[in-house]
Parts: sequence; structure tokens; C-alpha cells
Amino acid sequence: MNIVPNRGAKISVKNGFRGTILEFLRNSLEKGCFDGILIPMRVPADDSYAWVLVRDKPFLDNANPIAPIVSVQGAKALTSLTRKGGGNFNVAAIMKPCDIRASIELSKLKQVNLEKITLISYDCPGTLEMSNYIENPEESEKIFGSLLDGDVWDDKFTKPICQICDNFSFPACDLHFALLGTENGSIYLIPGTEKGENILDDLGIEYSEDLSNWEKKVIELIKKKEKQKAEKFELVKPTVEGFDNLLKTFANCIGCHNCQSACPICYCRQCYFDSEVSKPNSDFILLRTSKRGGISFPLDRIMFHTGRMSHMSLSCVSCGVCTDACPVSIPVADIFSYVADKTQRTFEYKAGNSTEEPLPMREYRFDELLEIKELVKDADGQD
Amino acid sequence: MSKSNSVLVIGAGITGMKASLMLSNAGKKVYLIEKLPLIGGNIIKNEECFPNLECSTCMVAPIQQDILQNQNVEVMTLSTVEKVEGEVGNFTVTINKKARYVSLIDCIGCGMCYDPCPVVLKNEWEENLAEKKAIYVPCPGSLPNVPTIDPESCLQLSGKQNCSACVEACDFGAIDFSEKDEKIKVYVGAIIVATGFDLFDATYLPNFGYGKYPGVYTAMEFERLFASNGPTSGELILRDGVKTPESIAIIHCVGRKDQGYCSAVCCMCSFKYAHFLNQKIPDAKVYNIYSDICVPDKSYQKFFENVKRESTELVFQPSTDKIKVTKNGSGLDIKYLNGKGMEETISANMVILSLAMIPGKETSHLSKVLGINKDTKGFFLTQNRNIGSVETTKSGIFVAGCAEGPKDVQNSIIQAEASVSKVINCLE
Amino acid sequence: MGEKIGIYICECGPNIANKVYIDKIIEKISSIEAYKNKELVIKNHKLLCSIDGKKFLEEEIKQNEFTHLVIAACSPKDHESTFINICKKTHLNPYLFRIVNIREQCAWIISDRDEATEKAIQYIRGSINRVSYQSPLEEKKLDSNPDVLVIGGGIAGIETALSLASKKRKVYLIEKTSKLGGKSAKFRKLLPRQNCNTDVIQKKLLDVEENNHIQIFKETELEKAIGFFGNFEVILKNVKDNNLKTELRVGAIIVASGFKQLNTSELPKYEYTQDDDVYTSLEIEEMCSQNGKVLLKSGEEPRSIALIHCVGREEKGYCSQICCNYMLKIAQYLEQQSSDIKIKEFYRDLCLPNKDDQFFLENLQNSAIDFIRIKDIEIKGNKIKYIGTDDTKKEIEVDMLILAPAMEAEDGATELAELLNIQLDETGFFQEAHQKLNPIATSTDGIFIVGAARGPSGISESILQAQAVGGEILTQLIPGEKIVPEVKVSEVLEALCKGCQTCLNVCTYGAIYFDEDRGISVVNEAICRGCGNCMGSCPSGAIRSKHFTNPQLYQEMVEALR
Repeated sequence: MNIVPNRGAKISVKNGFRGTILEFLRNSLEKGCFDGILIPMRVPADDSYAWVLVRDKPFLDNANPIAPIVSVQGAKALTSLTRKGGGNFNVAAIMKPCDIRASIELSKLKQVNLEKITLISYDCPGTLEMSNYIENPEESEKIFGSLLDGDVWDDKFTKPICQICDNFSFPACDLHFALLGTENGSIYLIPGTEKGENILDDLGIEYSEDLSNWEKKVIELIKKKEKQKAEKFELVKPTVEGFDNLLKTFANCIGCHNCQSACPICYCRQCYFDSEVSKPNSDFILLRTSKRGGISFPLDRIMFHTGRMSHMSLSCVSCGVCTDACPVSIPVADIFSYVADKTQRTFEYKAGNSTEEPLPMREYRFDELLEIKELVKDADGQD
Repeated sequence: MSKSNSVLVIGAGITGMKASLMLSNAGKKVYLIEKLPLIGGNIIKNEECFPNLECSTCMVAPIQQDILQNQNVEVMTLSTVEKVEGEVGNFTVTINKKARYVSLIDCIGCGMCYDPCPVVLKNEWEENLAEKKAIYVPCPGSLPNVPTIDPESCLQLSGKQNCSACVEACDFGAIDFSEKDEKIKVYVGAIIVATGFDLFDATYLPNFGYGKYPGVYTAMEFERLFASNGPTSGELILRDGVKTPESIAIIHCVGRKDQGYCSAVCCMCSFKYAHFLNQKIPDAKVYNIYSDICVPDKSYQKFFENVKRESTELVFQPSTDKIKVTKNGSGLDIKYLNGKGMEETISANMVILSLAMIPGKETSHLSKVLGINKDTKGFFLTQNRNIGSVETTKSGIFVAGCAEGPKDVQNSIIQAEASVSKVINCLE
Repeated sequence: MGEKIGIYICECGPNIANKVYIDKIIEKISSIEAYKNKELVIKNHKLLCSIDGKKFLEEEIKQNEFTHLVIAACSPKDHESTFINICKKTHLNPYLFRIVNIREQCAWIISDRDEATEKAIQYIRGSINRVSYQSPLEEKKLDSNPDVLVIGGGIAGIETALSLASKKRKVYLIEKTSKLGGKSAKFRKLLPRQNCNTDVIQKKLLDVEENNHIQIFKETELEKAIGFFGNFEVILKNVKDNNLKTELRVGAIIVASGFKQLNTSELPKYEYTQDDDVYTSLEIEEMCSQNGKVLLKSGEEPRSIALIHCVGREEKGYCSQICCNYMLKIAQYLEQQSSDIKIKEFYRDLCLPNKDDQFFLENLQNSAIDFIRIKDIEIKGNKIKYIGTDDTKKEIEVDMLILAPAMEAEDGATELAELLNIQLDETGFFQEAHQKLNPIATSTDGIFIVGAARGPSGISESILQAQAVGGEILTQLIPGEKIVPEVKVSEVLEALCKGCQTCLNVCTYGAIYFDEDRGISVVNEAICRGCGNCMGSCPSGAIRSKHFTNPQLYQEMVEALR
């Protein structure tokens, strides 16, 4: 059961937000709250980050809980870890809200098992574009550092999808670091579930009931993001409405399906669009050509994207890894986020919002039938 | 003498069909006889069934098909029981099977024969709201989809004139004027009576104005008027040509006092009509004039509440027999006494009478033929009335569905199932 | 591949012949390039469903030794079964046959003959291509166990047991309390129309106890049930000693777990305490059968009694169907007890849906009983405030109040539904397979619901339903006969299933289970009805519905749209 944030443990900031979070993790590892911690760590070449499951405390010194980029979506790492069941060890995963939202979706799809996992999140300032980071890692680290330390989180250097993200705080996690609205050098660690509360109790941390400063800042930022989102969607809308616009938008797609392999929600063992079934023989291709006059390769590019869209948009968490993965810079995430916003609204569903909300396609509700009846009627032009 | 493994089922309504299919499944040979030229019973006259508003014909058609295609069920339409001799395990039944004059094997149901027929008749199956030819099916979609010739009106068969218009129109040589009525003897071990019900004759109660004012309809007439396969293809065109009536009064419990019982389903039917009317004419004012609301199933009250909220105004009056329908200009006035005993009036252009369900016309005759008793209301009497029963006063003869008393579809089906259980036990 | 496809076009007299150009269809189909590698035999006939036609078809199939058959004729509703029978007769697997409807879908609805012909050609092409992708499916025959388990030893359960127990069929009757008979055994008399004492029920109780083919387990509950119609494995446990277990094999399970009365303290308008003389109808029945009399807590005879109908009806959202009736019965008890008792019945609507009910009402109406129709009512102890149909507010005080609380599903219904994989409806009672046409069956084949567990019902109704279950089981689960499950079922492709279990949620028949070891969903073919819900919902496309596979549908479409 997810609980409403109404109190938080007060923690004074030492060595920045990252240092503070690391200190907490060291502490809890030492006290035996967890047997391991899943956390981003910079790769040896220093030009990217990877998820590392840490068991020894000293390893944490090289970790960075608030990584400036997403190389692999956190939910993918959790899938690898728990696909075969929860196991016997308690693991904390410190992840961005979008990682957590995707994990929640995957747990409903039985690809992630959250039984032994403690999900820890933080107010996310956004992340940088992968391509920029690889080009100049040190400069990027500096930019991200000053963004994180800044009074107002200026998102102009973050990924476009992060600029329109209004889900940057308090996902359905067990514990949440409230970084916004820091007061007198202290932040709050807020429990989001009973599991989180128990951990705080074990660590003997004291609570503060007043979270108003944080709440105020979060609401302010949400408003800003919502505005940016609305503006962005106005721009996306004409690029995807109608078949011709879709064709234009995806015109340079090279059919690499990287977006699909990076996507945490695309969990099928074999994608239909990679399977033999979707590969027609030459006669059939020629037949199609004869109807249209010409046909371009790779085949079925729009079909792939719309197919993927219809499969996963109800669970899309707008994490943006698809755009990062695209070698030809198609703003895949903007498009999918726009569509996901619409489909999820239709079902009054918000991907990753809570573990209790059932997936819309698995649930039958009587009032939906009535809605459909109305729609059918409208379509028939009756009454 | 060993017991017969066959069963006679009288009446091919939903009850009789259900019982026949079950018995066939248990390996019994079933003779299913039906007095009308089509099977299906009263339920197929409804457009939709309460409370889920499922399309009745769609619901029943697969059952009708099953019956017609079932190897163990021998369907005899236009047939009645003439004589029953013997006892449980060994009844000899004489069936009077009227000639159809159209071959069930050769006819493919193309309907080419109707147009050329020169004789136009009232269609009773359509509550006389439509016409038919002397060669006809009662309604589109009738099963078996093979027409019948009415021998009294057919020019050829009645000897009035030498006419062979239908024979000439038929490409399949399916019409045979020489077919004769038959007497068929069957040997059966048990009999299920599922002859259904009729509706109270509204002309007995002149205060409701039925037969006098064209705007007054019986429930069954309204069902047909509303049905998409009915005489007006579902368009609400009244007898006097009025289209889409602006206000409609549905009067509950007509005939209840006279019959001495509540028919259990009429409230739900009446609310269903209100829903239909609201769907078809959203601006129409619909009144349900009632004395007691009887919605005796776990799912019924919800339907009633929805209808009450969306489709109708409920008008309470404690004494249905005091209601008077009179003419007012081109419309009708319905006068009644309200809860305080004061007279009030509602104006409407259409009145629908929710009539009591009464025993089928043939019940008296059949009870004599079968040697079973009727109860004081005229329905077939069950043996042990202290508790629920489908056994009649004669061993080996069972009654199910509305032939036993008014009830809804599910309770008719339950009795069909119960009677099958009894039949199988008594034939073992 | 040695495919030899027979294609027969029925002229349906003039119905098809005069509306499409049959020779053109034959010419076009025979000349299709794509079918060059297939051997096709294309012929027409005047009327394939006629005796002549059937004989012709039979001989053609035998002579040509077709591998596949396509018939272009009328709606499958009309004659698919006719042609399937011919297939069976000629040993051609019926799943390698397909009927194309060129009458209702072409000839009868398209006035332009060329257009109708064109459409018919497209349809036939689609089906020719489809049949070559169809597989010969075989019917399976499974052994079945004729024995049954009845859950609940009330009147519905008892009658079910009695109507099924025989030399060839054993009945296991379980009851969670220590006594059979349920609530009705506590009644003094049955409903007024039945006008008799409960001897009938006592007689049935005796019959059940003495029947050799009925094994009774008292203080016993269901712990587990797995399997399918004809073959269930059940585990029973003793309610007092949970380690005392019994394993049984049965072919069908009947739920007759009964009802309870609504707890009136949940209702804000009914305020009273244990000390007040306010009783539920069941309490009165018990009092009557124990003391033979209705008395106040003080031991004195009441002089004024109010009977209140429809308690909780509005809140529950349904009418409990039998309360009006039994309230009349209680009024009758009271009237017979003493003519000095002033009896008032407070009701909104009288629901007396049986042909014999009204007679008893009329009798009582002629007696001294005061029938008061109300719009609203409130009680506080033994004080009553009500609004009559004339909209006036009134207040009275009586010595005793008798309430008719709504009937509710028994406490364990939810657990039982989960154990048996059947559904409860929105009222909390068990849900029927089809409310109208299959009212005592559930969505799981072989599991039935009877009596008040299914919805409010009286003794008569319960008995009829019990006999009805008898009818269903006697005709479906016949000792020594095998069961033929659906052939066109779904199957999970192991290579594609990711184990997300979406299919488990959408399967209404409970035919899919999750294999923990392999991490995939598995379809139990004995339960699956081939509805295709799982196939449509599988995000990974890992479920295939036999006879409606993607290649089959795709190939049909491809050819039809060529």
C-alpha cells in the first residue's frame, strides 16, 4: 500500500545531496537493512554510467546515486535481477522516478518482483542527453553538478523529455529523498510505504511533520513543467496526426529497433516486428508495390512504431531512453509521451502511479461498456 | 413391458426447447410438438429481454437452430395432442399434425412464394398489426424458415378458385397442395407440458379503452410494434398514423385483480418499455402507473432504479380497477385516484396495458386429454404444492414454465431442468 | 504437397445462380496463378443441401480424395452442420473444410450482378487460401467421474443430494455446522401458500441421512478444488480440526451455501438495542418453534406488534423476493396466537410473485391486520416514525417490532468463489453462467449454484433449483460416458510467453494456469472454450487459438484483398 507523504526524517546535508544519500546507504548497509544496493556507477572509461549491485560498503565510494544520464533504464536492471523471483536477499534500488514507474509497470506484468526490493527515489532534476555526455563527460558532469546545486533547477540543459516531466517527485516508492526546498542545510527522507517506515524505524531516525516547504517547491515546479509540456505537445501534435505526418516524422527511421530494445516496457521475448511472421516474401512485396506504385525499405517502419505504440503506450513512463537510443535523432520519446498521455487519459490510468491500480487491458468495468455503447452510437450517427 | 426411452414435450417455447435439448443430450428420443408453424415461443416476440437488454432473437436463435439440427429431437410444428393412453413409462400419444403444404425438406426459405399470393390476411402472430399472405411465415427470421399455407383462406385449398401462384413461383417444387393432415402415434415414457401462457383479454375491462381507442395497446402489441423485425420495423407508428407519440402511459397490473394473482414479470416488462421509449423518443414523457412494484430477482431492482432515474415518471395509485381511460381531443386522458384518494388525470397519446399472464387457451382441453388437473387459477396443478414441484397429478407427466404459472425466463428454464431430472428418474 | 482442394458452389436454386455469374466464378478461380501448385476441382450444383446434393457431394469427396474442401453457399448458420456431417461421413476432417457465405453476404445484398460476382470470388479465394493453412483437429474423449460434491446442507443442498444419489452416483454432502437442515429447519411453518408444517423438511432430512449413496460430512468445509467438469479433485477439511482432511474425486460441484440476513445495526434508520423488543424474522421463527409462541422479553404477551418490510432493500439494491410472503406468514402466526394482538404491517410495495400468494394476502386483508403503505420509516427502540402515501408524518409506539432484513450472501461466499474460480455478481451472490438461459450453472463448467447462494429464494424455489441441477447433471455427466471437450482451444507458445500472466486475468473460464517452473502460462484444454480472449490480450502474441491462428486469418485476408 502506498501512503500519502505526511512526514519525513530530517537529514542534514553533508558533501552535497549525493554524499548525503550515499551516507544513508552506507549506514543502512552496515545496519543490515539491506544485503545489497543497486546504484548507478560511472564506467571505467568515465563516459557513461552502469547499474551496479553493491554488497561491500567501500564500493559505494565510486557510486553516484543521482547520475546525470540514463544509459540503461533502471527497470531493465531490476528485471534482470528479479525475473526469476524475489529471492532471499533484501536489495535497495536507488533510482529516478521514471525508473521506478517503469518498475511498477513491469511488476504488474510479472517481469519485476518487488517483494524483496526497497525502491528509493529522489526529486529528479532531469538528466542530460546521452550523446552530449559522451562527447564531453567532464563538462557535462560540471553542468549537471551546478544544476543540482542551484537554487532553482534550471532544466534548459536536460533532455527535452525531462523538461516536460511533471512526475519528477515522489513516485510509488518505499523511500523518497525530498531534495527540493532544502531548509537550513537539511533534506527529508519520506517513507512511501510501510516497508519504508520500518526501515526508518530500524535506523532510529527522527521525524518532522512539516513538509510544507518541499511541497510548495514541488507544486511550483510541477506547474512549470505542465506548462512546458502543454507547449511541447502543441508542437508534437501536427507531426503525428494523420498517416502522412507520421510518414514524414519517421522518414529517416533506419529500422534498427534500438528504441524497442532500450524501452523498459517492451518486454516481449520476441518482438513481432523482428519475427519471421512479419517478413513477407518478394511476391507479396511486389504485390504491395503494384498497389502503391512504389515501396520503401526497411519495410513497415510506421507499422513498427504504431504497433509498438499500441502495445506499450498505456504503460509508457516517458523516461526518454528511446530518444537517447535513436541513432538518427528522431524525437521518439516526445511522440510516445504525447500518445501515452492520450491513451492513459482515456482509461483514467497513470502508468507507474501505484502498485494497486490494475492495468487497463486486464480489467473489465461495466461503465466502460456504456461508454463504448455511446461511442458506437455516435459513430453510427444514430440518435 | 419395458419403459419407452422417448419423451414427448408439448410446446416449443424456451422451456420446451431447453428440456428437449437436455433430454437429447442424455440419449432420449424427443418428440417436440408445437401448435404454431414456428418454434421459439413468446420470447422471440420481444426485441430485448430485461434486465440486461439482450437481443432476444439472438439469444434464442442458437437454441432454435440446435433444436432443428438435433438428431434426437423430432420437431412437429402445427401439431397438437389429441389423445393420450397408457401410463408412466408407456404412454401412447396420438398427435394431430396439420398439413403445412410446403415441404420442410425441399423449401429453402427464399420467400419467392409470398408476393404472388393474392390473398391478404391479418397476421395474428404480429398481434394483427401486420398483414400476411395465405402462404406465409409469421415473421422474418421464423424457424423453421419454411412457410405455411392457411388452408381456409388459400383460394386453391378452400376450393374457391383454381390458383397456383405460389407453386409457379417456387423453383424447388416445395409446395404440395395434396398434403393431408395426419394423425401420428408416438410411444413415450414421459410427457413434459410446456405450453406457456396467454395474455389477459383487455376487452374484458372496458375502463381501459382497449379496442375502443386506437392509442391503447396491449403489452404484446407494443413488443411487436417496437421490434425491429416487427410490422413497422421498429418504428413507433400508431394505429391512427401518429408517429413518435409525445407522451405514453404504461399501466401496470391490468387484470391482476380479476385473475387473483400477480404475474411477477409485468413490472419489469413495463419498465423495459419505458426504457425502450426513452431510447427511441428521448423527448417523450413516459409514465409508469403502478400500485405495487414487484421486482423479485437480485438483478431487477437496479434496472428499475435506472429506468426510474432516466426514463420514466412513476405514478402511484392504489386501485388499478378505478383507472379510466377516456378520449380527449386527439389524445387520451387517464384518470386515477392518487395515494390520498383524490382523482388526478394524465394525458397521453399512447397507453400501454401491462396485462396479467393467464393460462394458455388450450390448457383446459389439454388437461382433459392428459388427465391432469388444473389449479383454481386455471394453470396446471402440481402434485405437491406445499413445496416447489413440477409433477402434475398424473405420474409421468410434468409441467414446466408458464404453463404452471406466471414466471420469468430463468425460472422457466429452472423448471425445464427440474422436469428433465424427474423424467430421467422416472424412466430409469 | 499433394494438396487437392474441392470447391463446390451451390446455386441455391435461383437464389445464388440468378444473382452472381457462377461460370465466371469458376473461370476466374481456375485460372488463378497463385494456385498453380494446388490441384483444384471446381464444380457447381443446383442445391447442395438437398438429398441429391448431399449424395453428389459425398461421392465427389470419396472419388477425388480431397485434402481440403470449400463450399460456397449460404450462411454457416443454415448448413455448416449439414456439410460437416458429410465430411465426417466421408472421413474428411471437418476442420479442413470451410463454408463461404455467398448468399446472404453477396447474392442477397448486392444488386449489381458483376459486383456480387466479384465479391463472391474474393471470399472464395480467401477461403481456398485459408483451408490450406488449417490443421486437422481431433476430438478428444475424457473419462469422467459421475459423483458429485454438494456444499451446504440446507434445504437446497439436501434436495440436490436426493435428486442425484443413485446406485451409479455417489453424493458427498458437506455442511460446515454440526446440523443438516439449514435455516428452514428452524421454521415453524412454511410460507402461507404452502400452509404446512416443516414435516416435509424433516422427512427430507431423514431421507438424506438414511440414503446409502449419500455420504455426509458435518463440520466440514472445502479447502481446495482443482480440475474440470468430469474430473475434479477436492480436499475437504474439518472446521474444528484443520488437520483432519478428506480427499475426493468428483465430476461436478454444487454450491448450496445459503444466505444470511442483513445485520440491521448497519442501517442508520433502525436504532435499537438488545433490550428492546425488536426482532428479525428469523429470530421470531426460532422463538415460535421453541416456545410455540411470540412473547416479549418480559415474558408477557405483546398487545401491539409492528411488522416492517423491506429493511435494507434500498441499501442492498435488490428485493429479497420472499420477505413480503413470510411477513404475511408471521402475521398469521400472531393472529392465531391471540385475537387481542393489534398487528400493523408497514410496507412500501407488496411483492407476491407467485400465483397462490395473493389469495393469502386477501384473506389477511379481510382480517383485523392493519396494512399501512409507507414512503419512509424510522425506528428508535419500539417507537416508529413514518410517512404515509398521503405524505403525512405519523408516530406510533408498539410493544414489539419484527423486521424483515434483506437476504445477503453467506459470509464465506467470497472465499468459496475464489476456491472454485467462479464469480460473484454485484449483489454479492454467486453469478450465473447466463442469467436467463443458464441460471444455475456458473462460468466454470461443472460447478453449479442453487438456492439462496444464487440469490434470494424461498424453499420452493430452492427445491426447484436443486432438481434443476439434478437435470443438468443427469444429462451431462452420465455414468460410464466420456466427455468431449471443445476442440478449437487456445494454446500458449512457450518460446514467446514472457509470463506476464495477462491471460490469467482475462480468461473467464479459469482455463489458464501459470507454470512456475517454466515461467509460462499454460492452457488447460479440458476447460478452454476457445473464446480467444487470451489471444487478443497477450502482449507478446504468444497465444494461438487453434483454427483461428494468425497465419490462417492473415492468409485469408491476403487473398480476399488481393
